[in-house]
Amino acid sequence: MSDSHMHDFEAHVRAVEEDLEYYRAKRIEPRIFTLLRRGFIEFTDLFNAAASSAKAADSNQGNGQEKDLESRVRALEDGLDDYVREIGLLTSSIGGAIDVVTEDSRVERGDYNEFFRLTHREYKGTLDERVRSLTEDVAKNRRVLEVLARALIQRGILREDVLNKNREALRQAGPWHGGKIVARCWVDPDFKSKLISQGRPALRELDIPPGRVGKLGVLENTESVHNVIVCTLCSCYPYDLLGDTPWWYKQDIYKKRVVADPRKILEEMFELKLPQKMEVRVYDSTSDVRYMVIPRRPKGTEGMKEEQLAKLVTIDSLIGAGEAIEPSQVGHVKETQWGHPKPRPRDY
Amino acid sequence: MGTEQGSYKVGDKVAVKRENPSGNPRTPKYIRGKSGVITDVHGVISNLRDHRGLYPPLYTVVFDVKEVFGGASPDKLRVDLHEDWLERATPS
Repeated sequence: MSDSHMHDFEAHVRAVEEDLEYYRAKRIEPRIFTLLRRGFIEFTDLFNAAASSAKAADSNQGNGQEKDLESRVRALEDGLDDYVREIGLLTSSIGGAIDVVTEDSRVERGDYNEFFRLTHREYKGTLDERVRSLTEDVAKNRRVLEVLARALIQRGILREDVLNKNREALRQAGPWHGGKIVARCWVDPDFKSKLISQGRPALRELDIPPGRVGKLGVLENTESVHNVIVCTLCSCYPYDLLGDTPWWYKQDIYKKRVVADPRKILEEMFELKLPQKMEVRVYDSTSDVRYMVIPRRPKGTEGMKEEQLAKLVTIDSLIGAGEAIEPSQVGHVKETQWGHPKPRPRDY
Repeated sequence: MGTEQGSYKVGDKVAVKRENPSGNPRTPKYIRGKSGVITDVHGVISNLRDHRGLYPPLYTVVFDVKEVFGGASPDKLRVDLHEDWLERATPS
């Protein structure tokens, strides 16, 4: 039993190691270098910002040692999620004015010459030691981010009120990553295949916190196959990624009817009539693989920008209980609690 | 109990056991005793947030809606099931 527990933590700790290294080496440090090289900030701005900002972030360090390993792994994962959320927040608050291309070249990987290879951090030792180092490193990385934000504010590149407003909006709105993920799938087939084959790790390039509830299953709706998801035993869903489910997802009437006659319930409850020749696949999930559906891209959306496309994705469509809406419907269907359009089921 | 990789592969015909063999309750009642075909092998999934320890390997198994519920539905139902609930279907 203890062996299986070690194994259990091992997968989680390894995932944190990979994620943290990804965000450090590909998302944050290249951005800092770009800002320095393009003259947006100077090194001394970072020193000044570090000196003037309070070191409140790591006040909770040190008391982690008494907790059991499981609580520490969970705290570590939460810390990483917060870090990723802050990266996304900072990026969007700057307004995309300073975007960087992160290099992922063969030269850096050392395919041609070992000399050029970028150094990657490795975590060695027992699981316990690795969790301790990772916890320290998450705190350090968050500190770097905090100092960077401070420097950008002092330089007038980032407005503190905008940052705070966005942070508050994010807190109140809850996550709305579904649109972002689907829109990227529509415009970038490579991303889509990566998402379908790898699940959560593919989301790193969107600055979306990876989340940790189960594995992510991704089902693509096509001309010939329509997927719809349910969890008849409870209401499993990748809520950490996509936000809470719609209320009807937890209702027995939905659960019972969608497995027994999916086509009929889609038509009767969601006004979604599917062609006879289209295959309908219902997925009844457990908590271990949590599914999301990639709806079909609506016709007449060629050339639309990713952020516009994201607005066509409804919560229902992520479950397969609806399709993505047409551009003309944006703003004309009922708003959800997240401020995004969602057609309502007709009755019950 | 299977290895991490699991005993079944895509395309294998399996039957869902009627009884809960190990105390793992995560199998819907409606599917017990039914036969289907493995379409996905997920392996052992480490899911710290949802349950302690590890469950046996997980599979997606496809069933015909009409065989499970009767009726005339042409559609397919895929259910995620752990290995301890499955046995090899006897060839008919």
